[in-house]
Amino acid sequence: MFKRKSQARVVCTVALAFAFLAPLLQAEPLSPADLKALLARIREKRAAAPQVQADFQEEKTIHMLNKPITSSGRISFQAPNKFRREAKGNSPSITVSDGQHLWIYYPKFQSAEHYSLGKRSPLDAGIAAITASLNLENVEATYHITGTKEPDGYQLQLLPRNPSMKRFLQTFSIRMNNDLQVVRTEMVQPNGDRIVTTYSNESRAPISASTFEFTPPAGTEVTTPLGK
Amino acid sequence: MRLHSLIAHLVTRRRGAVWSAVAVICALSAYVLVTRMKLDSEVLNLLPSGFESVEGLKVYNRDFSQVRDLTFALVCQPEDVDKLEEFAPQFAQKLRAQSWCLRVLSGAPIETPEGVRDLQSIAIPLLLNLEPGAFNETLSLLQPEKIRERLHRLHSELEAGSPRPQIELGLDPLGVIAPALKPFASNAAIEEDQPLTSPDRTMRVFLTVTNQESIGAVECQKLMRDVKKFQANAHQGWDGGPLQILVTGRSAYVAEISLSMRHDIVVTLLGSILLVGGVFYIGFHRWLPLVGMGLTLLLCCLVALAAGLLIFHQLNMVTIGFCAILIGLGVDFAILVFGRYQQSRDEGIDHSEAVSEAVRNLGKAIFFGALTTAVGFMALMLAGSQGFTQLGVLIALGISFAGIFMMTVFFLFLPRKNSRPRNDWMFALVKNYVRSAVQRPGFMLWISTPVLLILTAVALSPKPPIIFDVSTHSMEPKRSDAGYALKTIMEKMPSRWEPVIGIVKATNAQQLHDDWQKVAAHWDELQVAGKIKSYSTPAALALSPARIQTNRQKLRMANLTVARDTLEAAIAAEGFSHDTFESGFILLDQLRSAADPSYQLPDWRTKLPQTSSWWFLVDRYFAQDPLLTTGFVTTNEPVATQEQKEMLHHELPVEGVPMVLSGWSFTLTDLVPWSHHQLIVISALMAIFDATLLALLYRDWRLWLIQVATLALAVCAMIASMKLLHIPLNLLNVLAFRLVLAIGVDYGIYVLLVWQKARQLDHDVAGVVKPVILAGLTAICGFGSLGAANNPTLAGLGYACAIGLFWSLAATIFFTLPAAAAAEPKSWREESLRPRVQQPENV
Repeated sequence: MFKRKSQARVVCTVALAFAFLAPLLQAEPLSPADLKALLARIREKRAAAPQVQADFQEEKTIHMLNKPITSSGRISFQAPNKFRREAKGNSPSITVSDGQHLWIYYPKFQSAEHYSLGKRSPLDAGIAAITASLNLENVEATYHITGTKEPDGYQLQLLPRNPSMKRFLQTFSIRMNNDLQVVRTEMVQPNGDRIVTTYSNESRAPISASTFEFTPPAGTEVTTPLGK
Repeated sequence: MRLHSLIAHLVTRRRGAVWSAVAVICALSAYVLVTRMKLDSEVLNLLPSGFESVEGLKVYNRDFSQVRDLTFALVCQPEDVDKLEEFAPQFAQKLRAQSWCLRVLSGAPIETPEGVRDLQSIAIPLLLNLEPGAFNETLSLLQPEKIRERLHRLHSELEAGSPRPQIELGLDPLGVIAPALKPFASNAAIEEDQPLTSPDRTMRVFLTVTNQESIGAVECQKLMRDVKKFQANAHQGWDGGPLQILVTGRSAYVAEISLSMRHDIVVTLLGSILLVGGVFYIGFHRWLPLVGMGLTLLLCCLVALAAGLLIFHQLNMVTIGFCAILIGLGVDFAILVFGRYQQSRDEGIDHSEAVSEAVRNLGKAIFFGALTTAVGFMALMLAGSQGFTQLGVLIALGISFAGIFMMTVFFLFLPRKNSRPRNDWMFALVKNYVRSAVQRPGFMLWISTPVLLILTAVALSPKPPIIFDVSTHSMEPKRSDAGYALKTIMEKMPSRWEPVIGIVKATNAQQLHDDWQKVAAHWDELQVAGKIKSYSTPAALALSPARIQTNRQKLRMANLTVARDTLEAAIAAEGFSHDTFESGFILLDQLRSAADPSYQLPDWRTKLPQTSSWWFLVDRYFAQDPLLTTGFVTTNEPVATQEQKEMLHHELPVEGVPMVLSGWSFTLTDLVPWSHHQLIVISALMAIFDATLLALLYRDWRLWLIQVATLALAVCAMIASMKLLHIPLNLLNVLAFRLVLAIGVDYGIYVLLVWQKARQLDHDVAGVVKPVILAGLTAICGFGSLGAANNPTLAGLGYACAIGLFWSLAATIFFTLPAAAAAEPKSWREESLRPRVQQPENV
């Protein structure tokens, strides 16, 4: 009992200390040259290992729902545009994209959605936003970027350049640690919806090609909500 | 008193009375023109009637509101595509703000909140129109367990990041609109069927409907003036490189065509007058007869136009070519009459006697000349085209009046005192040629016959082929902004080719529904079989009163109160916001009302706002009369061949459903056999008429044979020239062949009739050959001036006729004349050339 009280006191002290010290640890804006250098470093790192796997935790605040929804799982990415996202919990789902097709599979309902990418649909903008945080390849072309140096890494603010992306995304911020690993992203959509994702346990080991392939299991009901 | 003496007496002794008669005729004609002048700018009236496809096109243009559509296109440089995407909504907004703009389609309506709201407003009738199985299935979605299951699934999908629940809940929170729209969905894919952005994203298309009250030429010009002002200012807010703002549509075309009519009238008429006047002056070196000829021709035009208005009540735009053609033709008579009159005066005969001599000598030739030409133009009536019927009748009337007035009124302008004779180099040249051709006809025939035979071989040879242009482009004005806009859109969006349309008219709503159900099922089979690329029909919007009645009865069985309560509970359980489902609750209330048998279901047309983009879809299918509808079939390739047309004619109709197939490409392809028929059969009939007339006129089989051979060789030379000069035949300038036959035969008649009666061959024949050359040149100039017309129909007709007349004239001079001489014995020729009286060389 005493030990528990003592631990709580320590936590409170540390929290208070952070609260008072926080203004002293102000983030510094990155100059254009520094930003360019940072993006070059990121590109270099991604070029050395164009694949990444990480655990994620996501919190979505959607205007259609009264409360935010959270989910967690593992995400795999292979540059330039292949990814797989497996969500666990009460509503498990598997999302797989090979760059041309996107599958969302719901094991609980034995149903899957199939989308064709590259037809300039709103979905493409959404996928581009998701992969941007994992890839960061040529992001300057798609976003206006500003950055800040923080004690434990970097914070990048991305504002979409083209109208199709603007329709989907209002702001997009990416937080990276000093090893240039993405640790947190936050997307705000024009309708106010917000998605905050945190990443951990990043791995850059090679990923099997089959990870980004998906064939619906037998008996799965497949729909194409946006047509063929 | 003989007719020629009577005419001479009237125009020389009773000049006041004749002038008064002319003044009365002028006044009456001017009165008719001022009070009744009405121009028909309908290009479709140039196409032959009696063709189902043509009639269908007229119905489509007249009764469907797409005729008030204007299509705008923004075209930017490749590096500005993102700027264009950003600028497009601003441009659409500016369009909406224009006073002449009723509505704008700048993207798929389903992607806008207004489009979704509008669709929800017409969901009930579409839902009640579902076939029994689909309706039962949809109604089952309102069962409590189905509602709960659906909302749970949507929640899971939201968690997974699927875009579907957001789309689905935005449009259809209750889950019953989507099934209702399923039959409608294939038609609603405007963006897929007719994309509004080019694949390279450098072009954006905006469809607008204007609020112009009528589609007449004046209204279209007024509208286009406003549109041009808008175009000039619409760049505001654009900060990229060069941006083209293009506009096309029926109103744009009508405005351009009607404005180009004014240009065509001025250019062709002035061109004709200048060229004809120049040729006349070179031939005769006199101004007063030239002025008299011009005024007499104007009188012919005036009277013929007035007569035409009295007969037809309105005149098609193509008749603007009438004046130029009539001047080209009528001047022949003036030149012949004046040539003969002047010949008499130069021989010392007095004014009155010279008039009498000219009428007596040339009356028969001019009568037959006018007859063959009038019949040739009257034959345009066989084309079955309203526009060309008017043109034919007007010219036939005009040429008849020209024959009469040139033999009477024209003499009023000739001076009673003869001026001093001048050296006539042209007459001397022609006389030398005639003498040489009569003395040594073989020499000339050795040159002319091989040339004409080689051209005949070229004409009959399959290579090079004659170009037959049946594209819609062949009908467009030459310098057309609307045409350029359409061409640019078609180039940037190659998948946008014109569909074939199937028009269905029903007597009641139930029949309309049943007919389109059958048609849609049949066209679906054709699509599956790969015979057509795609199709769209108004089947989903053609509601069945019987089915709606049945479904309303079923709706009464559904417990909508429980459905509402379950929905409320499920929303709370899944954590959805209540606002998201607001339109779902409204729909439940509407369903409850619809279930009430006393409730009068509103017409879905009244529920759809006038500014709604969905009207673009509705207006595509429905005319002002909602029972007149059309479906669209996109073929695998643009329709261009008879095989395609025959296949569509055979496959598209459905037994028991009266359907008219049409569309521009389909119609033009449909008209190709008609055009060939015009070219071959009717020209052949014309040739038979000419041949019979010549046989009666000459009563000499040798001269008859020579003249018929001349006509055949001239027509072949005309075809060969068109092949070698790459001048295309189109659906309308094929009519030139019969005109050439009608006019060309006159040259032979003038020459050979004098040949038969000549006392001194070289003098008498040269006396007619010179006017024939001048007349031929003026006719060529008259028709050639039509080439300057902006209207390609007129220009094409002018070029073809000018070429044909050139060869008719050349064949008459270099083949007919030496051939007629060669047919006579040498002794006869030598005797005929011997002078009987001394003749001056100045005629």
